[in-house]
Amino acid sequence: MDSTENVILSGKKITKRFGGLTALSEVDFDVRRGEIVGLIGPNGSGKTTLFNVISGIYDPENGDLFFGNRKITSMSPHKRACLGIGRTFQIVRPLAGLNLIENVATGVLYGREKKTGAREARERALEILSFTGLSDRASKLPGELILEDRKRLEIARALALHPELLLLDEVFAGLNKTEIGAAIDLTFRIREEYGTTIFMIEHVMKAIMSTCSRIIVLNFGIKLTEGSPDEVANHPEVISAYLGGAYAKC
Amino acid sequence: MNKYYPAALAILIILLAAFPAIGPEVYYLSFMFSVFMYVILASSWNFIGGYAGYLSFGHAAFFGIGAFATAKMATVFQLPPLLTMLASIPAGGIAALIALIVGYPCLKIRGPYFSVVTLCFAFVVDLAVKNIEYLGGAEGLWMKFMDLPEKTARTIMYEAMLLLMVITLAASWFLGRSRFGTGLTAIRSDEEVAETMAVPTAMLKIKAFVLSAFFPGVAGGLFAYYLGYIHADAVFSINISILIVLMAMFGGGGTWLGPIIGAVILTVVNEGLSTFAQAEIARIIYGGLFIVVTIFMPNGIIDFFRKRGG
Ligand SMILES: Nc1ncnc2c1ncn2[C@@H]1O[C@H](COP(=O)(O)OP(=O)(O)OP(=O)(O)O)[C@@H](O)[C@H]1O
Ligand SMILES: [Mg+2]
Repeated sequence: MDSTENVILSGKKITKRFGGLTALSEVDFDVRRGEIVGLIGPNGSGKTTLFNVISGIYDPENGDLFFGNRKITSMSPHKRACLGIGRTFQIVRPLAGLNLIENVATGVLYGREKKTGAREARERALEILSFTGLSDRASKLPGELILEDRKRLEIARALALHPELLLLDEVFAGLNKTEIGAAIDLTFRIREEYGTTIFMIEHVMKAIMSTCSRIIVLNFGIKLTEGSPDEVANHPEVISAYLGGAYAKC
Repeated sequence: MNKYYPAALAILIILLAAFPAIGPEVYYLSFMFSVFMYVILASSWNFIGGYAGYLSFGHAAFFGIGAFATAKMATVFQLPPLLTMLASIPAGGIAALIALIVGYPCLKIRGPYFSVVTLCFAFVVDLAVKNIEYLGGAEGLWMKFMDLPEKTARTIMYEAMLLLMVITLAASWFLGRSRFGTGLTAIRSDEEVAETMAVPTAMLKIKAFVLSAFFPGVAGGLFAYYLGYIHADAVFSINISILIVLMAMFGGGGTWLGPIIGAVILTVVNEGLSTFAQAEIARIIYGGLFIVVTIFMPNGIIDFFRKRGG
């Protein structure tokens, strides 16, 4: 009927405070099914906090979250994951002490696919690891991986849930040019093979510009603007926010 | 995994079951009885302490609750021997129910509260039992033992504890390979990440804790009957709680074999200490051992030797 039917995730006036600091202030946003949406903003503008609110790690003080037409504002994180919200962590957080297969198999066993057999889960985990280019390191421990592979493992862990919506928090940060190229390619392949909608936080402009159809900009916890990559890149307030951010850092 | 492993285990169990037939001294039957008992205690503790990484420092409480519940049922209902032994099963159920009540509030939250609560809980139960006349109070409870020659009676108890050990270890084996066990391991590794991977962490922890209280409760029932007389000091001692943690961690928490190895080795050590040293000295030695294990072998001796072996 209209575009709201296609909305997979929407936030209404999301406010999150840490003591006196307002990390998110009445943020409204929508993500539509099948989109790749970018979330940008200077350091400390509340991007990761928004992902933490979406995945249920933090409860917002105000506002509501909807996944499809279900209200998920106060649902526990595991239930949201079960419904199909997968995420990665900006500072990678693999299940240390468990090898790559076990890391991914955990999500396969508890996620949307709800496999119950250990063998079945391992096989599925191996498929996901080979999809993310990690199959030859499947029995290694996360600690033995280089950064690029740790980022891939973050993605593999999230994909294990077979998510409908994937939240990627700076998976491109710290990668070199070739690695970024490979990661961009992986982002598109995820959408094709898993039919997953992607919401991604990114500082690497090349990655944002070439993957996202729409970008949301946060600054000091307030939504500054949203639009196509070109619109956003030429938006005067975005430019000054970034410059201001750069100066503030000095 | 070696394909002869299950067969070797089966033979070992048969040999253990046949051991009384060669006519050993009662002392050896008693000794093996306590080895089986500690294997049960350490392996059950491992469900919550090893797999999920939530250290219960008051596990003796469940052992003791099972013991007192069995003794009370036996005296109130004047149960004959066989039924007294079977009464240890509902007694385990009572221990599990109490674990649910204690564990529910503190396992819903993350972190170290659980260890503190279990420790305090054990002290509270000990004090309560000592002060409640109905549960024997300072005197303890007497039970009527079997009207059989001592060796026969001891053999029956030996076989019962062996059976309970086999059941506990089978449960532990399946848990380690199940979806449940995988979820618990994820909790130990990073509970918040586990949640974002759809693992219902609070639910799994509570289930693991309840299960980890059940088997010690049943073992406590058998132990009480074995002694024929039960007193709070015999089952609620902090030494037992610490010994259980130590056995599982020393062998290797979160593995099937670890708590078994740890329990066997430390029961031998404990036997030696109780013959040659005072309880206070034993406590100091356990404390020291605990420090050594956590510093030098955080993953237990199995892992320590596996790494040494290359
Ligand atoms: N758990 C917390 N407790 C207190 N303050 C927090 C917490 N998490 C985030 N903050 C604060 O909230 C603000 C937003 O942080 P957030 O991590 O969301 O920023 P970000 O946009 O992801 O930044 P970056 O680009 O550096 O990752 C920052 O000022 C941060 O210090
Ligand atoms: Mg961030």
